[in-house]
Amino acid sequence: MAEAIQRKLQSELEKYQQMQKDVNKSMSARQKLEAQLTENNIVKEELDLLDSQNTVYKLIGPVLVKQELDEAKATVTKRLEYINGEIQRHETLLKDLERKSEQHREILASLQQEYQRAQGIPAGKV
Amino acid sequence: MCYEMTDACHCPKQVMKDCNDQLMHWKKVEKDYESLQERLITLPDKLSYDVMVPFGPLAFSPGKLVHTNEVMVLLGDNWFAKCSAKQAEALVAHRQKLVKKKLDDLHKVMKSFRDKAEFTADLEKITDTAGDFVDIREVLSKDEEVTKGKPRVAHKPNSKPKEEYVLQLKEEQWEGEGGASQGGVLSETELWARLDELERLEEEQDERDRLDSTDTNGEDTTSSSSEEEKETETGSAVEVNGHRQCEDMSPASYAGRVNGVTGLALDGQDKDEEYEDEEEFSSLPTIYFSHTTEPKKVRINTGKNTTLKFSERKEQKDAKRKKKSVKCNGHTLHEHHKITTPADIYRVFVDVVNGEPVPRKSILKSRSRENSVCSDTSESSTADFEERRALYGHEEGAHSAASNGVTEDGRHAAISLYPNGRVEAFSGTVVEKDPLPVLIPHLTITPPALPTIPERKQEEVGSETPQEVPKRVSKFKAARLQQK
Repeated sequence: MAEAIQRKLQSELEKYQQMQKDVNKSMSARQKLEAQLTENNIVKEELDLLDSQNTVYKLIGPVLVKQELDEAKATVTKRLEYINGEIQRHETLLKDLERKSEQHREILASLQQEYQRAQGIPAGKV
Repeated sequence: MCYEMTDACHCPKQVMKDCNDQLMHWKKVEKDYESLQERLITLPDKLSYDVMVPFGPLAFSPGKLVHTNEVMVLLGDNWFAKCSAKQAEALVAHRQKLVKKKLDDLHKVMKSFRDKAEFTADLEKITDTAGDFVDIREVLSKDEEVTKGKPRVAHKPNSKPKEEYVLQLKEEQWEGEGGASQGGVLSETELWARLDELERLEEEQDERDRLDSTDTNGEDTTSSSSEEEKETETGSAVEVNGHRQCEDMSPASYAGRVNGVTGLALDGQDKDEEYEDEEEFSSLPTIYFSHTTEPKKVRINTGKNTTLKFSERKEQKDAKRKKKSVKCNGHTLHEHHKITTPADIYRVFVDVVNGEPVPRKSILKSRSRENSVCSDTSESSTADFEERRALYGHEEGAHSAASNGVTEDGRHAAISLYPNGRVEAFSGTVVEKDPLPVLIPHLTITPPALPTIPERKQEEVGSETPQEVPKRVSKFKAARLQQK
């Protein structure tokens, strides 16, 4: 009885830890996205500070690729949109994960109680 | 509370530490930007600069810085832009703004957390130093922990209650039953044996009663009336013993009685009481009360003043008897009967009342009168007054009617000892069975008794049963069968 519960508890705990890892991963991803967002925002603002005379390069790998300012602005705005979308996605994902982890935590708590009771019975018998 | 405090202290400290690190970092960035801005401002002042150009991390080589107004700026996200020093300076200014904003945010965070930390610290200080504020702490003692930690185990679905308890309960039950029957503890077999014995005795008694009743029916009325005689003739009681034995459900009662009369009285009372009990049982007490009031009137009407007086005397005597009988009864059958049947319980109650005859009267009278009419012997402590009155009334009626009075009197005189004792014993028993013939004369004699007559049969039916006591239903059935 107690062993079965313990095994179940163990598996549930592992699942919960896995879920927690996922939550953390998506959280960090989201933070990265946030940072990128701010960075791109800055880029966009700074691109706005430049005029058409200025040449803009994009570093792709080891190479600086020359790009038109308007082109660069468009890409940057596109990039911003993409990042915003990503952030939204991660937001929902995070909420979902957190809800799941909450449920899991409750399950874990009940399981833990069960386990303690199961351990308590033999103690009581003794 | 302590936990909260430490938590509250801990968290802001951690956060503040992080904030501080970030603040340092951003301050450095700000300083860098400042120096950069300065450089950018001064850079285009000259066409070229002689500088040491770094080659890798270790080597420098002398070189020349040209194109002083051309700067490649990393915008972020791998975006580069070639711009003039002036533009670069603008960009740097823009960045400095951002850095400044970041620093302000950090400062705000720092402030809020510092406030929290200070508050908790202040709280601790306030509570520690005796002041107006008291920190309510509840110390968790070890005992409490133990009790709390002690697992409370529910019974398993199939588990039985501990046998000890079950056994105890059973014993108690049996004790109750046994105590009721004998005052001691009786095993089941013993109890049943006792019941069988009682039944047997009852049957024998019934037979004798029938014989007697047939013979003495006429006498019964007289005998009932002859209670006075009984009292006067105490000696007769001893002779009556034989009867008693027959009647006797309670052997112990014999020993208890000093006088034959008392013994007889007891027996008669016992029987009567039983009858009464059954009657009570069969009908509601309230009804009886109403009856009780009626019979008195009836007696008064029918009975003479002298008879009333008489009855009073007898009542006193009866009361005495009752007291005695009560004492005796306590030990004897009555207890058994009490316990065995609900009627018995009722009787017990009546006994308690004995000292104060009134309640009994009320209960008994309706029945007692009937009994008295038929059985006359009713010396039953409860019914005494009423019965006696009724008896007297009957006697008077009988005498007045002179149905058998003279002859009976003569008999009494002649056989005074015998018939009286017998009659007494009989009267109780005799009344039960045959009263039909007896009743009729009574009816004729005493009009008030008329209404009771039909009931009387019922009573008789019931009356036979009570002696058998132990099993009510069986008794009733048996009684009916016998009558049939």
